[in-house]
Amino acid sequence: MAIHERSLVEPERILRKERLVVDGVDVSGDWNLIILPRVINDYDLDFAKEIINSPDGKTINQCYQCSYCTASCPVHNYWDERYNPRHFIYLARLGLIDELQKRADVMWRCVSCHKCTHRCPKGVLVEEVLKVILRTMAKKGLIDEYPSKKFDKFFTESVLEYGRIEDGELLFGWIEKQGYKVFKDPILKKPIPFLGETPEWLKQLTIKPIKSMNIGFLVLNAKHMLFHPRTKNWSRFKQVLRKVMQEEGALSH
Amino acid sequence: MGVIGKRVAYYPGCSLEGAARAYDVSTRIVAKELGLELDYLEDYNCCGAMESKNVTFMGTMLLNARNMSLARKQGHNVIVAPCNGCSFSLQRAEYFLETDRAVFEKVNALLREGGVDPLDQIPQTYHILEWFYHEAGPQKVKEKTRKPLRGLKVANYYGCLYTRPHFYARTYAHAGGQEEEVRPRRRDTADDDEHPYYMNALLEAAGATSVEFEPMHTQCCGGPHSLSDEAVSEKFVMMILQTAKRNGADIIATECPLCHASLEMYRHRLMLKGVPDVDVPAAYFTQLLGLAFGYSANDVKLKDNLSDPLPVLKRLGLA
Repeated sequence: MAIHERSLVEPERILRKERLVVDGVDVSGDWNLIILPRVINDYDLDFAKEIINSPDGKTINQCYQCSYCTASCPVHNYWDERYNPRHFIYLARLGLIDELQKRADVMWRCVSCHKCTHRCPKGVLVEEVLKVILRTMAKKGLIDEYPSKKFDKFFTESVLEYGRIEDGELLFGWIEKQGYKVFKDPILKKPIPFLGETPEWLKQLTIKPIKSMNIGFLVLNAKHMLFHPRTKNWSRFKQVLRKVMQEEGALSH
Repeated sequence: MGVIGKRVAYYPGCSLEGAARAYDVSTRIVAKELGLELDYLEDYNCCGAMESKNVTFMGTMLLNARNMSLARKQGHNVIVAPCNGCSFSLQRAEYFLETDRAVFEKVNALLREGGVDPLDQIPQTYHILEWFYHEAGPQKVKEKTRKPLRGLKVANYYGCLYTRPHFYARTYAHAGGQEEEVRPRRRDTADDDEHPYYMNALLEAAGATSVEFEPMHTQCCGGPHSLSDEAVSEKFVMMILQTAKRNGADIIATECPLCHASLEMYRHRLMLKGVPDVDVPAAYFTQLLGLAFGYSANDVKLKDNLSDPLPVLKRLGLA
């Protein structure tokens, strides 16, 4: 007998016998599979409350576990079937933190394609809810650093500082965060591409088109890397933004 | 036709003033040719894209409310954004400001505190494709076409956030009947949700042929994880490029600078690894429309594209 969403059941709880005879009746093939029951007593109901209280997470209670989100999810379908939005919502509502923690290595993998939210028949903002679950776990220190959070923070800090982002800074700054030694000019302390360490693909990617590209494009981007584009009249707004983010606890974790 | 307005606030987004300059330049060319006017949103700030919203909720509301306030100050009720991420962020803020009174009031108080005019009314955000389709339309594109894209087989790649989610993008199934209840925020000008066709229609009017590209036309390219989760992005881009190539596409038409960058970057990495059938170049749909309107490859900055679509276009005598 097939088990639906088998990856959700621990292997040691699945009992399967090749031949099973009960009271003299051979039931192999149909009834030879048993999933052992489990008892759960360490749940945290406050966890779900915190999610419901945030404006982007309050639709979590509309979920009726139909799994349309999981069926739509490209990460579930094409990458790792352990990534299961329906199950994450289920666990968060029950407050089974340790079960969520077991899946911490895949939980951050959502690519924000919004197929789940779009197709949900109950109007749950699934993608938003999943991000709120992650955000809440990070806030409570229940989950370790994960790559996308590092990038999100890096991105947001750039927005907060300048009001705008710059592609070169994001690319080379991220490369630096991954452990490559990026060369920086001594005066402005900005990364100079290709003088330090660069991943091989990026070198290859840029060397070829540099020959064919028009010089205006390269000059424009080099200028932006050295002198970050800024929003004018930003400083007062920046302070308000920083205050709001501090209230949310977004800057500390 | 003509329900959105010929003159709108133009929110280009950070990318279009840097790495995606070609999209900005070609968008302006196409708008001018179609008799539409883009009013540049002075001194805008980043929308927060798909990244900041994972860190802070109220922060992203504020970032987008500031841009909305600037648009109101310039006298606009409509903002047009050419980037999927930007239009998504603005529409997301629009959703929460409209549906959650507490958020709206808090945002307005904070805007005042930050020295920005509070919002008297919430401007609507449209993706530039929706605007082109409804204010000009295929008919106008056909009239303006001087050099039809004859023989060019295009895979129209829409990306995720142009059609999804319907709460923000306001899309609905054009073939369906009883959508009013389940799509409370649907907008009549919005594209079909699972089978978008506006880009197909515009490029076909300019003489190109669309290849079959479903369901990869709205498959994710890795998006916000393009840099932080390379393995997944690489696989997604591989699926998109291979589907395009195997369905006979000469070129992929894009409408988002992030999708475009992701496709070009991972196309190159996949080619270095020797993965078959991934060598389809990408170009913004406005670049292709610009070529059809008689502009040169240099005018629409085709050389900015890392994937170099020039050889393909030259072979067909289009550039």
